[in-house]
Amino acid sequence: MPHRLAALLAGLSLSGLAHASATQYPLTVDNCGMPQTFTQAPQRAVTVGQAGTELLYALGLGERLAGTSLWFNNVLPEFKAQNDKVPRLADNEPSFEAVVGKRPQLVTAQFEWMIGAQGAVGTREQFQELGIPTYLLPSDCEGKDNLVGADGTRLQPFKVQSIYKSVSQLAEIFDVQERGARLNAELQGQLDQARQRLAGQDLAHTSALFWFSSADLKTDPYVAGRQGVADYMLQTLGVRNVVESSEEWPTVGWETLVKANPTWLIVARMDRRRYPADDYQKKLDFLRSDPVTRNMDAVKHGRIIVLDADAMQAGIRLFRGLDVLSSAFASGKAPQP
Amino acid sequence: MSRLLPLSLFALLALCLAMLAGIAIGETRVGAEAIWQVLANQLWQAGHAVDPIDAGIVWNYRLPRTLVAAACGAGLATCGVILQALLRNPLAEPYLLGLSAGASTGAVAVGLFGLGGAVLSLSLSAGAFIGALAAFALVLLLSRASGSRHDNAQVILAGIAGSQLFNALTAFLITKSATAEQARGILFWLLGNLSGVRWPSVWLAVPVALFGLAICLWQRRALDAFTFGADSAASLGVPVRRTQLLLISCAALVTAVMVSIVGAIGFVGLVIPHALRLLLGPGHSRLLPASALGGALFLIVADILSRTLIAGQVIPVGVVTALIGAPVFALILISRRGRP
Amino acid sequence: MTVMTTIADAPLTCRGLGLRLGGRDVLQGVDLSVMPGETLGVVGPNGSGKSTLLKLLAGLRTPSSGSVRLLGEALERLPRRHIAQRLALVEQQADTLDAISVYDAVALGRTPWLSALAPFGKEDRAIIEQALADADASHLRRRLWGELSGGERQRVHIARALAQRPQVLLLDEPTNHLDIQHQLGLLRQVQALPLTTLVALHDLNQALTCDRLAVLDQGRLVALGKPEVVLTPERLLGTFGVQGHYLVDPYDGARVLRFRT
Repeated sequence: MPHRLAALLAGLSLSGLAHASATQYPLTVDNCGMPQTFTQAPQRAVTVGQAGTELLYALGLGERLAGTSLWFNNVLPEFKAQNDKVPRLADNEPSFEAVVGKRPQLVTAQFEWMIGAQGAVGTREQFQELGIPTYLLPSDCEGKDNLVGADGTRLQPFKVQSIYKSVSQLAEIFDVQERGARLNAELQGQLDQARQRLAGQDLAHTSALFWFSSADLKTDPYVAGRQGVADYMLQTLGVRNVVESSEEWPTVGWETLVKANPTWLIVARMDRRRYPADDYQKKLDFLRSDPVTRNMDAVKHGRIIVLDADAMQAGIRLFRGLDVLSSAFASGKAPQP
Repeated sequence: MSRLLPLSLFALLALCLAMLAGIAIGETRVGAEAIWQVLANQLWQAGHAVDPIDAGIVWNYRLPRTLVAAACGAGLATCGVILQALLRNPLAEPYLLGLSAGASTGAVAVGLFGLGGAVLSLSLSAGAFIGALAAFALVLLLSRASGSRHDNAQVILAGIAGSQLFNALTAFLITKSATAEQARGILFWLLGNLSGVRWPSVWLAVPVALFGLAICLWQRRALDAFTFGADSAASLGVPVRRTQLLLISCAALVTAVMVSIVGAIGFVGLVIPHALRLLLGPGHSRLLPASALGGALFLIVADILSRTLIAGQVIPVGVVTALIGAPVFALILISRRGRP
Repeated sequence: MTVMTTIADAPLTCRGLGLRLGGRDVLQGVDLSVMPGETLGVVGPNGSGKSTLLKLLAGLRTPSSGSVRLLGEALERLPRRHIAQRLALVEQQADTLDAISVYDAVALGRTPWLSALAPFGKEDRAIIEQALADADASHLRRRLWGELSGGERQRVHIARALAQRPQVLLLDEPTNHLDIQHQLGLLRQVQALPLTTLVALHDLNQALTCDRLAVLDQGRLVALGKPEVVLTPERLLGTFGVQGHYLVDPYDGARVLRFRT
């Protein structure tokens, strides 16, 4: 019941927003504790982080982008046309000058360790001094302390609302609030649909494990811990995460993971090849050939889901990921990679 | 001589017990009966019914890990003995010749750029090995170029210079190219990690450690002859240059192999030889096997601790050896204070 | 030593020996033959090249010019082990931080004789005991190196050299740290040994007890012969920069040098 009612209410309220007003400038947005002021809709923006980039493409703002950076995967096919016209400043983090040299009126950042107190690109104050507003995706700063732990530590579990907030705030900044409302409705709809598929199914004994990558194929893997985005995906679908660490991506020994014997294994697919284990095919080969992991139930019965690495991050791909996962959980069969 | 036989038996017994502990203790609980059954199945086909996951954990994860810990501990300790004997310096240890610095650079280069990744499928281990030997070659060249006589101070300085250079290279590579996640992964590996060890590593580590020990035992009298310096060794009939080159190359090779398998585990090569010298005196006939054994036991215990100190998490072995080794080293220094 | 003894029989000879270091000739054109069984003293002021000469003769350094022959064979062609079985060197300074016992330090002297086929045995033990006794260090056998005084360490080094059972013994200023009793005793002992001995000395009166003396001055061999013949007042002034003359000791008729500035 709660799901259907929520969907109805959401639909009603969002349809109300469909006739959203135009943005009133000057606009001040409170973003991660720093208010950012805009005198007009930005005409040139630079993104640091694929999630922010694709979010802006989803809002149809490709022609307002002056540069992109920090990519984990190839751009989604539906955005290729927009992306081809935008120069790529760097595959990894760009330099401060490269960003500023594009004279942006907005810089978005997917991670606080890109633009923040210890930002690899620069601090928010540095940009502010030049009159450039910065927008950090709320999912990386709300309820998270990025100065503790290698990837930051979540003080509270990740909330999907932070993604909707990114969408509506960016839509407001760029004065495309109607498109923002539509996008949020679409995303919300995907989430609800994913949940619906599993309604009525008994998932009390279903558990899962996310394997992102490993420094060396046989050494301890990076797996999803509690409170992060990947964990949220499991929580929202009603499946238990076998990893109990509260770090977002801890390393846990194979011995512990194998003994936990999760029902489902979710391995990340990415185009990056920094570690041999980045290649999902190598991960699958390892699981099937290692004398211990091949005895896991999930490996023996082929319950391994290959999921886009970007779907495990806070961005629009999260919702597609939820769709893939819920189909698999519902049918009991992993999709072909 | 009369003490030798019971001492050796005691030592071997201690080693066996430590290895059993290494198999029995781990991140998760595997019952003693299950362990016994797994070993029985593997060693004499007893045919017990054991959960395949437990069997796999004991035989394919924990046993190779313990064996490699023993081999690496023995190998690194032996190398420490060689370097302390040849360089006549109590601070000498295997990484002095630039080996661990070079290994970091090699591993980072492979890890960040997948150097040779697509073509050769170079793993971090191979990168570390090549990097270690490259750094060693540089250090040798530097020490040769700085003087025709094999002066110990020059070798040490060349080692420091080489290490600094490769450490700087590593830092440069990391700051230029790595994400925080990548850097963390590589540095974790470099601090010493036995997690990825399987049977193939055993077939490499154990023979190499035994080979290194054998060469040193063969040269034990020559090592003793260096007690009063290289000139003294020469006047006692030791072909100094040849012996130094043989033993240092042997030490470099053994260390490079060990570092490439498990990362740069510190303190074993420095502290174990000292501790055993305090107990047994400087004679290499006893010091060498004792150090090898001591190193093996030390690293097995350190590995067990690294897996069990914090529940559900593995601490890098290098951190544990430092935590134990540093206070022990301090004690050694203090105990020497009374000496003239 | 007779007229019939030729250079070819001499256990240790060098011809035109020289060493150039850092653009400077530390040793130049030294021709020397040590007669079998003699005790040859090498004297000279500091920096005259005494230590260098001994190191070259022991084969520890490669000469820039000239050659050395040990027991008739060219030194540079001999394997180190072969040399060590015939020649032992007691250095001026050789120290260690190791807590080695005196017995073990002397036992090192057997190194050139030990091998896989000839392991340490009873005979080696006997030789070590003899060497300890000859150097008057038997009572020190269990002491650790760090506990010894400078003189005791010197005696242990000598014992080690004796344990090598060499035919030629080179000693670089062995009396430096010894007390007076041991200084006199050592020289007497060394001369009594049936070894050919080359000893670098500082004390010219001690040098008088040698069979022959070689005088080095700024890297050159300027005199070679019996002590009283070589250490003339002119030589003393020219090479050593001191005025000296001989006195006869009424006690036993021995000749003694007296110095004045």
